[in-house]
Amino acid sequence: MDDPLMLARVQFALTAGTHFLFVALTLGLATLVALTQTRATLSGSAVAERMTRFWGQLYVINYAVGIVTGLVMEFQFGLNWSGMSRVVGEVIGAPLAMETVVAFFVESTFLGLWIFGWDRLNRWVHLGLIWVVAATAYFSAYFILVANGFLQRPVGFTMVDGQARLTDLGALLTNPTALLAFGHVVFGGLLTAGFFMAAVSGYHLFRRTAEADLFRRSMRTGLVAVVVSVMPVAAFGGMQYAYIQPTKHPGAQESAAQVAQFEARFGPGDYTPPGLATAGEVLMEVAWSLMFFLAFAMLVKLPFGRWLERGRVFHVLMMAALPLPYVAMISGWVFREVGRQPWMVYGVLKTEDALSDVGAGAVAVSFTVFTVLFAALVVVNVWLLARFARRGPEAVRLGAPGAPEPERPALTPTF
Amino acid sequence: MQTLALVVLAVLTAGYLVLAGADIGMGMLLPVLGRDGRERRLVIAAFAPFFLANEVWLVAVAGVVAGAFPGLEHALLSGLFPVFVALVAGWVVRDAGLWLRGRVDAAAWRAVCDGAIVAGSWALALSWGAVLGTVLVGGSRVEDGVNAGTVLGLPLALVFAAHGAGFARWRLASGLAERARRVPGRYWVSGAALAALPVAAGARLPWSQVVSSPEALAVTAVMCVLMVPLLAAAQALVWWTFRGRAESPGYL
Repeated sequence: MDDPLMLARVQFALTAGTHFLFVALTLGLATLVALTQTRATLSGSAVAERMTRFWGQLYVINYAVGIVTGLVMEFQFGLNWSGMSRVVGEVIGAPLAMETVVAFFVESTFLGLWIFGWDRLNRWVHLGLIWVVAATAYFSAYFILVANGFLQRPVGFTMVDGQARLTDLGALLTNPTALLAFGHVVFGGLLTAGFFMAAVSGYHLFRRTAEADLFRRSMRTGLVAVVVSVMPVAAFGGMQYAYIQPTKHPGAQESAAQVAQFEARFGPGDYTPPGLATAGEVLMEVAWSLMFFLAFAMLVKLPFGRWLERGRVFHVLMMAALPLPYVAMISGWVFREVGRQPWMVYGVLKTEDALSDVGAGAVAVSFTVFTVLFAALVVVNVWLLARFARRGPEAVRLGAPGAPEPERPALTPTF
Repeated sequence: MQTLALVVLAVLTAGYLVLAGADIGMGMLLPVLGRDGRERRLVIAAFAPFFLANEVWLVAVAGVVAGAFPGLEHALLSGLFPVFVALVAGWVVRDAGLWLRGRVDAAAWRAVCDGAIVAGSWALALSWGAVLGTVLVGGSRVEDGVNAGTVLGLPLALVFAAHGAGFARWRLASGLAERARRVPGRYWVSGAALAALPVAAGARLPWSQVVSSPEALAVTAVMCVLMVPLLAAAQALVWWTFRGRAESPGYL
């Protein structure tokens, strides 16, 4: 692994892939937590309030990984991929600036208020906070997909002296590869959160823990989320094929024509993506088909509330199905991103030309530092998610500050 | 438009250093302010409600640089590659320590997390000091990498610590606040220094060479001018909500 291009690519793939897996759950779960808290606030129901805190706790644990991987990703653009900022910097800089200032800034500030201000704020204000957090999370996803959509299908710019100049902001913001991918990710996030809720609830119902009522309701919420999103996620995915890069499917007639055109413009070279892209496509479709059949079973179960508490085969099935949305997410993303290679910006900038000239040693150091950090962080957080999910609502500290500290009973000032 | 974008960038950068400088500084002083596990949890409860709302200012800085001055990102990050790797790694380690500390009830776990918070905070402060020092001395030659100014990292890191102590005087529980008073530091003095530093360093950078085209610049500048009052209001809401002393342990 002494090839800096490969190292930088693998590093970005690991960072972005990890980010994406955790963020998918963040997006969907924020929405489900906001809905649950709305129910709790409107009805004053104690069980809905405990549901909010339980799922909110898992949401916050999950969020921590999403935020740190996101931060590192933003710096990786400048650290490893300075060629990108040199050539298309101002075009993708615009949506990235909007993402940070309009979306992420508000999301993170309000999330801090929601977490730490639980008992200090008026309950309607507190409810408003989680809705702002959920809404800005979607804004954030949209702006990032505008930047990513530009890499897939560059629009709204002209090349001046080897640099892309933004000429049409509207075209950039309404790029179909951004809008359709946004729809795809919105429902993909809901689908992930739905399967996540169903799996955790299935565990508690299967084990017949004390929280049958809470987890029957949670199971229902999860199943509804899955049933609602399983078709739209495929529809938004399928519509994107209308704008797909011709070389994404090597062997197709359009692909050969496009390769010939690239060779005429940029000289001879390999303009077809690695086989990994097609493997991603197949795996994504298999995972989706399995989820689609499960959604059928859910649809049959949903009208019968009490039946959700029994049906132990179904509980096991729900636990076993947890990896499916994640497999679909990551393989779909491999299809989209690996399928764009060898281009960073399709037909404009090659990935190899976007690499920083910082030297192989520096790239290797940054690769090692962040890969080790993230591996540790992911392992710890997955373990924590499983642990807090297993322990159930009794172990939740979110919204219950001042939990007793076992080390010493009271603060005694020593001066 | 370029001036407008520069003013926005100066406000956001100064805002980041003044606001986040306080929670970074308190993280640096964690072993001094809190002598045992329980005290350290109280110290963390004093700044934890702020750290999310503070670090987003830096994310906004990165966004505005990407949108308005894309050339700078390249010059700064490639020139100071090792310093920025240390900065981002320190940031991740500090945040991970904060998030994870309260999740497992074991003394060894808390000790590791406390270590991560302290080490990460020092790494952040030292790298920020090094970045600011390098730009102050190197100016437009920052692309050449580290220079004599990089060693300013150490004295500048101490400004962060003093700033943290100043913030701790207001926020810590009454008993612990006494301890913060033994560390020299006034929030407004160190805050003024942290706000002036990026302006002085920024004045040495060749902005007109790294600016984006008028169209892209206008998009970013106008959006920021509309948003900054809102962002300041959100920050004010945070300060108002957590205005009292942190007398009892918090969520983290």
